[in-house]
Amino acid sequence: MGNWKIGLLFSETGVTSIIEKSQLNGALLAIDQINENGGVLGHKIEPVRYDPGSVDQKYGELSEKLITEHKVKIIFGCYTSSSRKEVLPIIERRNALFFYPTLYEGFEYSSNVIYGGACPNQNSVPLGNYLMENYGKRLFFVGSDYIYPRESNRVMRNVVRQAGGEVLGEVYFDLEAKEIDFAAVTKEINRLKPDAIFSTVVGQSCIEFYKAYLAASGDGTTCPIASLTTNEGEIAAIGPEASAGHITAAPYFRSIESSANQKFLEAYAKKFGTTVDVTSGCETAYSQVHIFARALEETGEIDTDKLREALLGTSYDAPQGQIKIDPDNNHTYLQSRIAKVDAYGEFIIQSQVRRAIKPDPYLVFPTIYDLSFRSLDVAGGVRLDE
Amino acid sequence: MSDLIQGLRNLHVLVVLPREQSADDLIQQVNRIGCQVDHSWPLPKTFQEKYDLVFLDVTDQNSEKLNQFINSSSKKQTIVAVVGYENPSMLELIFDIKAHSVLNKPIRASGVMTSMLLGQKIQSERFQFRKDLKALKDKLENVQKVNDAKFILMRHRKINDREAYALIRKQAMAKRTNTADISQAIINAESILSDFGDT
Repeated sequence: MGNWKIGLLFSETGVTSIIEKSQLNGALLAIDQINENGGVLGHKIEPVRYDPGSVDQKYGELSEKLITEHKVKIIFGCYTSSSRKEVLPIIERRNALFFYPTLYEGFEYSSNVIYGGACPNQNSVPLGNYLMENYGKRLFFVGSDYIYPRESNRVMRNVVRQAGGEVLGEVYFDLEAKEIDFAAVTKEINRLKPDAIFSTVVGQSCIEFYKAYLAASGDGTTCPIASLTTNEGEIAAIGPEASAGHITAAPYFRSIESSANQKFLEAYAKKFGTTVDVTSGCETAYSQVHIFARALEETGEIDTDKLREALLGTSYDAPQGQIKIDPDNNHTYLQSRIAKVDAYGEFIIQSQVRRAIKPDPYLVFPTIYDLSFRSLDVAGGVRLDE
Repeated sequence: MSDLIQGLRNLHVLVVLPREQSADDLIQQVNRIGCQVDHSWPLPKTFQEKYDLVFLDVTDQNSEKLNQFINSSSKKQTIVAVVGYENPSMLELIFDIKAHSVLNKPIRASGVMTSMLLGQKIQSERFQFRKDLKALKDKLENVQKVNDAKFILMRHRKINDREAYALIRKQAMAKRTNTADISQAIINAESILSDFGDT
């Protein structure tokens, strides 16, 4: 018997390549670690890699190619929801297993997908709470124009409304938007003076947006840009000056102090020479590959139905803390943390929910009064010296 | 429409399907969506009022039995027909039971929420249309009655249209009833008097 072949479908070029390269590295690191330990049941894991170039349609074509030409039944990949929606019908038709290591807007279930990222009840609600308690109730929404931002804003609008807050504006931009394209909206923000900006701008244009905000003398310490997607990779590209004071909610930040995270970062630094691009998407891809390998050890064969059985309900000590695959919906119990970027461009955790939150992908209107979504302040923040 | 989505999680759902893979998949998905769900098979005698929506397997069923079940409840409830195949007699059955939405077997998770919301939307619109239609019919009948009564009064009293109407209204107010009832009384009286043949 040869190696265990798995497909990796992350864009190494194009507008979402910053984050997807980070996810790819997370997966590659886990594969290395497993292989160094003798592989799974004596056989190595062999990745088959394709670069869809951030083009939605390519994700579909390449997943078909992975399954038919390379006989791969296990695929890790995708960042945007639109690219996932391309892959979904193909893996369902072929009964393959797809690991999706990205937060998304919910309202999906497929028995062929293991969802590793946060859905709105695990990040939007704690973030909305935090913003309104610490900054104020007048918010402005800026987003990229595709499925995730629109749905995410629908949820956030509802959270804001329940707290008696107000959405001053909601604007969408092309995924290719440049700094100059944001000039009008930063001007409008200056005029309206919201308490915080909720941004669902992703990929390269996210970097452009933060820079445009600084150029328009937007100040993160008084009116932060809050996001669920802007993570370590983007912050590094934005630079400390334009990112200081801004806020992100995610299950994982590089600055988490724990031995599991320490080990993860050390291994990452050893393989890639730096930890600059370690993000929550990277951590999720890393954990998902490990979880898969453990399930494979149990089944001893790549069979979608058997692997699913082994995966559902299983828990894993990830760098973020313990996570668990919810057998009810194939999503993952995740930690919820809120962090603010300091003057050096590092996320400092401000508050967190005490235990992993159960995923609720079909929560139509999350209620902010649900106590399980409330985050608690972390004393003094947490900083990990690199 | 957003009201329906907002209320989605409050729905109490009944699944009437033989306990097989499709039933399990459907129950799990309704659970995932966050609704309360019960299962029942074979087809129960009565449709309990606590349910807002039923997924009803119509494969190998007859419309008489299904309608008996559906009509056993007086509450307005949403019927989603679950079908195994789509031949003409199956389609006729779906029309017969006035299903609000349809779901195909085998059940896929994606599509369940749509069928629920679409069914709810159609059901509530159909309910509203029926109510509006009845109100319109009643109104039309009343207008006709008042007109007939007015002509009777105009003939007998040699008064004009406006005076006749004023009389009817005055009577309605004095007797604390509406113009339609007074008009009906006038029409009845006229018919009795004309039977005497002394007009």
